[in-house]
Amino acid sequence: MTTPVILDCRNVWKLYGAQADTFLNTNSSPSSADLEAANLIGAVRAVNVQIRKGEIFVIMGLSGSGKSTLVRCMSRLVESTAGEIRFEGKDLLSASEEELIQIRRKKMGMVFQQFALLPHLTVLENAAFPLDIQGVDKKTREARAQEVVELVGLKGREGYFPRELSGGQQQRVGIARSLAAEPDIWFLDEPFSALDPLIRREMQDEFLRLQNILHKTIVFITHDFDEAIRLADRIAVMKDGIIEQVATPEDLVLQPATDYVAEFTRHVSRAKVIRAASVMEPIDGDSFAGDVSHDAVIEAIADPVEASDLPHKVLEDGKPVGQISRKAVIDVLVGRR
Amino acid sequence: MKRVSLALSAMLAVAPALAAESSDPIKLTLHDWSGQLITTKLMGEILKEAGYNVEYVQADYIAQFAGLKTGDLHVAMEIWETTGREAMDEAFATGDVVNLGETGLQAIEEWWYPAYMKERCPGLPNWEALKDCAEEFATPETAPFGRYLGGPVTWGGFDEERVEALGLDFEVVHAGTDAALFAELEAAYQRQDPIMLWVYAPHWAPAKYDGEFVEFPPFSPECYADPSVGVNPDAAYDCGKPRGPIWKVSWAGVGDKWPGAKKAIENFNLSNADYGAMVTEVDLNGKSVEDTVAAWMADNKDTWSGWIAK
Amino acid sequence: MIARAAKSGWLFWGALFAATWLLSTYSFQLYKALDARWIVRYPKGWEFPLEDHISAFLDWLVESAGFYFFSFRDLTRAISALIEAPYQILRNLLVEGFTSGVGDAAVQVAPALSWIAVIVTIMAIGHYARDWFLSVLVGACFLYLAVFGQWESAMVTLASVLISVPIGVVGGLFLGILAYRVSWFERMLRPVLDLMQTVPVFAYLVPILILFGFGPVAALVATVIYAMPPMVRVTIIALNSVPTEVIEAGRMAGCRNRQMMWKVLVPSAVPTLMVGVNQVIMLTLNMVIIASMIGAGGLGFDVLSSLRRLDIGGGIEAGLGIVVMAIALDRASQAFSERSARHPLEGNILQRHPWTGTVFLVIASTLVLGRFVPAVQTYPDALTITTGPFWSNTMEWINVNFFDTFEAIKTVILQWLLLPVKKFFAGIPWAWGIIATALIAWRVGGWQIGVLAALLMTFIAASGLWPKAMVTIYLCGVSVLIATLIGIPLGIWAAESPRAGRIILGVMDTLQTLPSFVYLIPVVMLFRVGDFSAMIAVILYALAPAVRYAAHGLKEVPPPLIEAGLMSGCTKRQLLWRIKLPLATPHLFLGLNQTIMLALSMLVITALVGTRDLGQEVYIALTKANAGQGIVAGLSVAFIAIITDRIINALAAGQRERLGV
Ligand SMILES: Nc1ncnc2c1ncn2[C@@H]1O[C@H](COP(=O)(O)OP(=O)(O)OP(=O)(O)O)[C@@H](O)[C@H]1O
Ligand SMILES: [Mg+2]
Repeated sequence: MTTPVILDCRNVWKLYGAQADTFLNTNSSPSSADLEAANLIGAVRAVNVQIRKGEIFVIMGLSGSGKSTLVRCMSRLVESTAGEIRFEGKDLLSASEEELIQIRRKKMGMVFQQFALLPHLTVLENAAFPLDIQGVDKKTREARAQEVVELVGLKGREGYFPRELSGGQQQRVGIARSLAAEPDIWFLDEPFSALDPLIRREMQDEFLRLQNILHKTIVFITHDFDEAIRLADRIAVMKDGIIEQVATPEDLVLQPATDYVAEFTRHVSRAKVIRAASVMEPIDGDSFAGDVSHDAVIEAIADPVEASDLPHKVLEDGKPVGQISRKAVIDVLVGRR
Repeated sequence: MKRVSLALSAMLAVAPALAAESSDPIKLTLHDWSGQLITTKLMGEILKEAGYNVEYVQADYIAQFAGLKTGDLHVAMEIWETTGREAMDEAFATGDVVNLGETGLQAIEEWWYPAYMKERCPGLPNWEALKDCAEEFATPETAPFGRYLGGPVTWGGFDEERVEALGLDFEVVHAGTDAALFAELEAAYQRQDPIMLWVYAPHWAPAKYDGEFVEFPPFSPECYADPSVGVNPDAAYDCGKPRGPIWKVSWAGVGDKWPGAKKAIENFNLSNADYGAMVTEVDLNGKSVEDTVAAWMADNKDTWSGWIAK
Repeated sequence: MIARAAKSGWLFWGALFAATWLLSTYSFQLYKALDARWIVRYPKGWEFPLEDHISAFLDWLVESAGFYFFSFRDLTRAISALIEAPYQILRNLLVEGFTSGVGDAAVQVAPALSWIAVIVTIMAIGHYARDWFLSVLVGACFLYLAVFGQWESAMVTLASVLISVPIGVVGGLFLGILAYRVSWFERMLRPVLDLMQTVPVFAYLVPILILFGFGPVAALVATVIYAMPPMVRVTIIALNSVPTEVIEAGRMAGCRNRQMMWKVLVPSAVPTLMVGVNQVIMLTLNMVIIASMIGAGGLGFDVLSSLRRLDIGGGIEAGLGIVVMAIALDRASQAFSERSARHPLEGNILQRHPWTGTVFLVIASTLVLGRFVPAVQTYPDALTITTGPFWSNTMEWINVNFFDTFEAIKTVILQWLLLPVKKFFAGIPWAWGIIATALIAWRVGGWQIGVLAALLMTFIAASGLWPKAMVTIYLCGVSVLIATLIGIPLGIWAAESPRAGRIILGVMDTLQTLPSFVYLIPVVMLFRVGDFSAMIAVILYALAPAVRYAAHGLKEVPPPLIEAGLMSGCTKRQLLWRIKLPLATPHLFLGLNQTIMLALSMLVITALVGTRDLGQEVYIALTKANAGQGIVAGLSVAFIAIITDRIINALAAGQRERLGV
């Protein structure tokens, strides 16, 4: 890949418990059993991840697997017990309090699971809050807040208080707030978990729409695999503080690195993950029913491919790279591969 | 126009005398019984007439001595010989508080009973009658002993000792405050029930209720100090309670700061009768203290103008 | 396993009670048999003269303690002056009017706000805070004060409330913030708060008078000391319960510490903080009577002086004056908290602030009109009404007709309850008393609480206050028992029937804000001076929390559980006994705790009827201006309170664990 790494975590640890700070000095890579014996909780263990500019990086795992802790280590809301975190090439862990404040003010934004809105402020004031903290004058910050509020589709509700909004609307405000200061990296900790399924879907669409406009670097946390595959460029699967695998959704399904990941991905509707390029065959004729893109997921191309007797041509950058037949699509749909 | 010039001339008349005196307000203390409010407001209004600035400060009867010592407070108009002696002695000893003489009022404190009890105990008011009819004063809790309702323990009074020394079959029960004391009296009086309690004068109660003080052998310091003196040769306190004046006291600095005022306060003198009449007006007839004081001042202009004359 | 634990539990409590009972009954014989008088009386020689030390320390503090350039007293006097200034302005505004010059030369510059102006202002505040209903309610409360001829006193009281409530709230907020930020400060503050709340006010009045000077300011300071602790506690709780995510949101926005506190934490905590404000208002008004004894004047003074001349009606009217003022201020402050965020109005300044305009208009016009029509300035005396004779007559009627009935009931209760309990407690040898308390505390709450209890009880014995402490425990114990027996059923009733609930809780509110002195005197008239009257007064005062917490606890039972109960075919009664009451026990414990605290705080007032307990000791110390004696006795009361508090909290925690809530 050529895109630069913006956030680089190397061997990051976060332990909770009585001797959490000193424990790693004696044993730099303890096993689960070691930790249990020392009565420590390994919330994040030996994590290595590189977040690249402009990607949507999803961290996923079951409840308690350490997702929130990891993302809080990345923003230093939680101090890591050991390891190295570089943000835009600079060591984040040695940044002074003042530098940290500036980094958070200008470069980081975060959206929270329970929205974390300030109850005494209106929608507009909530959105303007980070700018208020930076000392931006009222007129400028309200103008900017107005922009983001409109961006998230809350125009007309600027004067409402959080308690007067639905959950989905509240999270829109949370998103608006996190965008107000135009951050470079955007952390979202299970932003849609507190919403019911219909709204969740709507918000995911909304989120994709925003990302199409904004092209932020995003670290997105979820425990919902469907959500992950809808949004992710890459997914990190976490278990007991350890990252089991980092891969594209498709690779995760097709080449699970561990049994855990395999188990995890087993019930995923594969048609949503597998792309044309993975199931195409070499071209062996010259009559085709149509063209499909090599990175289209099977679900999206299933209808036309299934409906025709002839195969479809798979194109990459306009050049044919293979063909895809009805059988291949049906194999994916019924789970034969 | 005429009023203004009158006031002006009045001011001119007193102004020279006051030239040397401080214009700071003189702080007089107020407590929570009407008589004291009357004497204090009376003094205050008279001092105002003499051209002084006066401020009334609400303060606790005993706790005020701390303020009188430091000069936070200046004048206390009613310190009763009977209840304030200890505090006064302690304060005078420091030299920061001085005695400005008697108010002219005489305090009485003694066992008291309503007149209807005389039918049940015909020998009264002589104390010896109590020897035979203590049971008439009994309640279920004290029977067969009679019940005597004493003042708050803080008032002292040596009633337990008195009961022993005089061989009276009474049990002493202490009220917590004088409000409780008179509440019991009021209730018993309404029912015409037996009661024997500590009453003091001047006060509205002896004026409102028909009754008498018990006549014990008269008080003498020796009777309290020396067992051999008195009816019981083996016990002290075999006599009645002391009676005594009500005093005016002040912060020692008053004389330097307001010499004229000090003189006026020293001159202040009121009779039990006048005082009792005013207390009755306020407590029983519901008049305000201010009105009562103003009425007295209007009727007795000669008396009080004599106090402030130089 | 459970059976065994229960068995050993019974064994422990049974043995403890039996030992105590035996020792209590036969302590005297034991003393004679062993010729050891120390068994029944704590020897004088072992007493620790803390009293004298404290008095000496205070003398030193007042007379000679100093920093480099000024003495400690200069400092307190400076604080005093600082408080006095705004207080005086308020008094001028509400009561005396503004004058220039002193004494006879004084010229009135402007009169005080007229009664009409004050009522309109308060109604405006009521409407601004919520709606017309509230506006009319607070207006009616203040109109009561005018109609019953208490305007001037009420304004004096209002002036002091308007000073001490903000000081209490702001001071409490800052202490709470400091405790939230600095954990060792919180640990240090906790016991101090316990003491501030449980040491009877009388105990520290004398030092305060000396340090802050005689007059209203000392009363204000005492009020603030008494009323501030709940604000501190609520602040700590409120800040701690701001959701972590909200704090993280603040940090991610790049808040500095100060921005975090004032832009995130405090505003988010406002609804909870308002509970503290409400407590400060209530406690401030509770203090009105005591404050008036040391110079605050106002309604409290009216109550006292009415009752001193046995004007029961006057006392009740002035007492209700305090109640209505409490209601008005409480409702208004609650409305403000709920209002905290509402949409501003559109338009120009007058349209956006319709009330400000109206209020200014009324103030200005009454100012002018008042010069010509006195009735506009001061409510005319001729139009005041009084219910005095009604109350006096009612009281007399009850007294004459029902006294014998009351007397009979009283005799029975005395005979069968009060006297035996008193004998039991009075008989317990002090040494065993200390051991038994420690054992109870240990058994319920672990060894730390056990040791604490032993130490505190030893302090009481070593101060020579053991007998009075036992009377205290007996009197409070019996009163709390009866208050609980009456209060919990009332609470249940209030929870089960909303209509009864409104009335019952209303009565409880009144009982708590009505100065106890007001009903103490009628109680004495009917029951005479003695323990019984004291007990009734304590019960009346301490009933409220038992009722409130019971009602609250029952209402808090989760509806699904009730539905589950209904679906399993519970009758109403089974529902109550099997589901609601067990689940409400933590609340009931809390109510019990508060009942005990209030009973103890009422002790000093019962001393005014004449009981021989620690309250009396405190009161004697006050009237003798003996600061050391007062503080030692006050601490003893506080220690009893603290021990019970710890024990009951431990019980409640155990109960909560068992219920898994
Ligand atoms: N402050 C803390 N003190 C002790 N343990 C903690 C703390 N915060 C988190 N943990 C532990 O660390 C582990 C990881 O927690 P974390 O909140 O990161 O999980 P998560 O993956 O975000 O779960 P969820 O999906 O429920 O949010 C858990 O076992 C949790 O109990
Ligand atoms: Mg989480």
